[in-house]
Amino acid sequence: MKKRMALVLCTLMFALSITACGTSDNNANTGNAAGGTNDGKTTNEPAPAEPAKDEEPVTISFMHFKSDVTDGVQKIVDQFESENPTIKVDVQPVKYDDYYTVLKTKMAGGDVVDVFTLNSGAQTKLFVDGGYVEDLSGKDFLSNFDESVLKSQATDGKNYIMPLNAGPIAVFYNKKIFTDLGLQVPRTFDAMIEAGKKIKAAGKTAFALGWKDQWTLGMWVGRDLPSNTALVANQPDFFEKLETGAAKFADNPAAKTTIEHAKQLYDLGNKDQLGVDYNGIVDLFAKGEVGMMYMGTWPLADIQKKNPDLYNNSIGYFPYPFSNDESLNKLEFNPDASLAVSSNSPHKEAALKFLAFMASKEGGDAWVKNINSLSYVKGSSTDIAPAVNDLKPYFDKGEMYDSQSYLAKTSIDWGSQFVQVVQNYFFGKSTEDEVIKAMDNWVAKNHK
Amino acid sequence: MVTIKRMIRREFWYLAFLIPGLCLFTLAVVIPFVMGARYSFTNWDGLARTVHYTGLDNYKRAFTDPDFWKSLVNTFKYAIIITVLVNLIALLLALLLDTYLKFKNFFRTVFFLPSVISIVLSGFIWKYNYAVGFPDLFSKFGIEITSPLGNPDYALFGLILIAVWMGIGSPMIIYIAGLQGVSGELLESAEIDGANMWQSFRNITLPLIAPSITINMLLVLTGSLKVFDMVYVTTSGGPAFSTEVISTFIFKNSFNNFQAGYGTALSMIFFVILVLVTIIQISIFRRREVEQ
Repeated sequence: MKKRMALVLCTLMFALSITACGTSDNNANTGNAAGGTNDGKTTNEPAPAEPAKDEEPVTISFMHFKSDVTDGVQKIVDQFESENPTIKVDVQPVKYDDYYTVLKTKMAGGDVVDVFTLNSGAQTKLFVDGGYVEDLSGKDFLSNFDESVLKSQATDGKNYIMPLNAGPIAVFYNKKIFTDLGLQVPRTFDAMIEAGKKIKAAGKTAFALGWKDQWTLGMWVGRDLPSNTALVANQPDFFEKLETGAAKFADNPAAKTTIEHAKQLYDLGNKDQLGVDYNGIVDLFAKGEVGMMYMGTWPLADIQKKNPDLYNNSIGYFPYPFSNDESLNKLEFNPDASLAVSSNSPHKEAALKFLAFMASKEGGDAWVKNINSLSYVKGSSTDIAPAVNDLKPYFDKGEMYDSQSYLAKTSIDWGSQFVQVVQNYFFGKSTEDEVIKAMDNWVAKNHK
Repeated sequence: MVTIKRMIRREFWYLAFLIPGLCLFTLAVVIPFVMGARYSFTNWDGLARTVHYTGLDNYKRAFTDPDFWKSLVNTFKYAIIITVLVNLIALLLALLLDTYLKFKNFFRTVFFLPSVISIVLSGFIWKYNYAVGFPDLFSKFGIEITSPLGNPDYALFGLILIAVWMGIGSPMIIYIAGLQGVSGELLESAEIDGANMWQSFRNITLPLIAPSITINMLLVLTGSLKVFDMVYVTTSGGPAFSTEVISTFIFKNSFNNFQAGYGTALSMIFFVILVLVTIIQISIFRRREVEQ
């Protein structure tokens, strides 16, 4: 009997240790693990005693949604801490899908997060209206940014957030597959679909679609629809009207265009489009089996690790052609993860110092180097990956646009609903008109 | 008079032991519940500092919201299938592992192991299995399969499979305990009277383990009605709402759609539904139990 108990106990302990590993793994995404790494650090380096004499050491919390580059952000923070030994930064990375939920719950519950990331537009407005965000207008460090950038990210004419991260969202393509099949870089949507069909006919996957994750399809829908609405259908204020009930999806021809685009991509996608997630498609693309992948610059570091040869020689990057009018298909360039300071923060000075560091040339370069993305800081480096150099002509000629600016004044989150409803269409469970009708019903119900 | 006083004094000790638990329960469950219930009569967005009372609007809206009913149907479909499958499989395994099987202790541990793994972790494991593991494995035999979670027709069954895999452990242990309480004499005398295996199971074992059945049915049904974490990590309600259960629906309304007031009202309705289901279920199964 005793022996048996021992055996059971051992197995249980083993299983528990597996689970323990697993949960801490997950927590890397939800933020608790960040506390762990910080603890580790404080034990590693004995507290710097000297500066503590004239200044009390303070700890500020920094919550961000760049959880896929947790290590990179930590490195930048380490750099900041080594320059400001009196300030400790408690970094809390949270996966983007859960980020606003966590932040909202914390704020509404009276928890103070000193510095946090926000996207300009609707989300920022919501937090500003709630009175949670400090006004940064006129602060010295904002002079390190272009006036136009500051203006585009202003909320009600004031700068509550500091621009930081910037990035193109475009289509990666496998140059080897394209040259083997004699394909040109497509400049219109139809040309892209044509190229996709040829790739499929050659037995390869045309588009990598990790649509198991909500955000991958959501990101695409959230750009294809506003672009087509504002630039092709000429209704730049459609989403504002939608929120007030003055417009319907049924009145917007672009809704139908986007649904058709989605279906065309779906039909040319990898096997199991809604079963494979973001990591899955980055894997597929890195293996060199996929022709095209619509994505920001995030997977580059991952691809470099998995297939350095592909990364260095045969990835190209072209602007996503949302329409069939070449002159409209400029490069999508979005701000992302701007920084905000809590208005209730007890350590505002330290928090502002942190922002000032991020706004400095040094901070900007550190961001580019560690995050593999671009920074809005004037003069910071742009050298992130060979593939991104393909976009240089667009940067130089200024052929860029920001589709998200058409959504900036609205707080209506139609994206996740659209993603679900359009999936019915993929499986032939509803028609295009039913998709549009379902969206209009949802808007009518949720936004009076 | 004296006897009543004495009784109070005696009973007081029982009460005294209840107080700490009662205090904790009040603090952690009752007070937040009452505070939360208040929000179900408002149109609070979850962030604003002021709220507007809208009376019963949220409740009226819930009863006319087809999405709410759809998610309710999904939830019950999920919960009922799981309750039946889990109890059936757990009972069969318990019967098997209660016999004189050689490695029965080893197998008991093996079947119990999935219950020990955290739900979030097993959600991730299965998501990977479905999308990469199984297709790779089957393609070695020339069979092409895709993840059931990616198809609205099969997604719910994909989830049910995970839940069954995870859920059979604890009910199995309870059934084994129940089976060990069945007196061998009864079975022996039935055998002498010429009863076959099915007859003695049907007429002796089953009635005697009825309390285990009651508790297992109850635990599994309420547990799976309340499912959130597994659905959230594996499909978060998709594709095309096919796995939208009531708790993810409440979550989406409260947080994604900024309708914390409506979300709270939905939670209150769901609470009432859960209480009703529990009461009905207990009264049905209790009636079938026998005293040993």
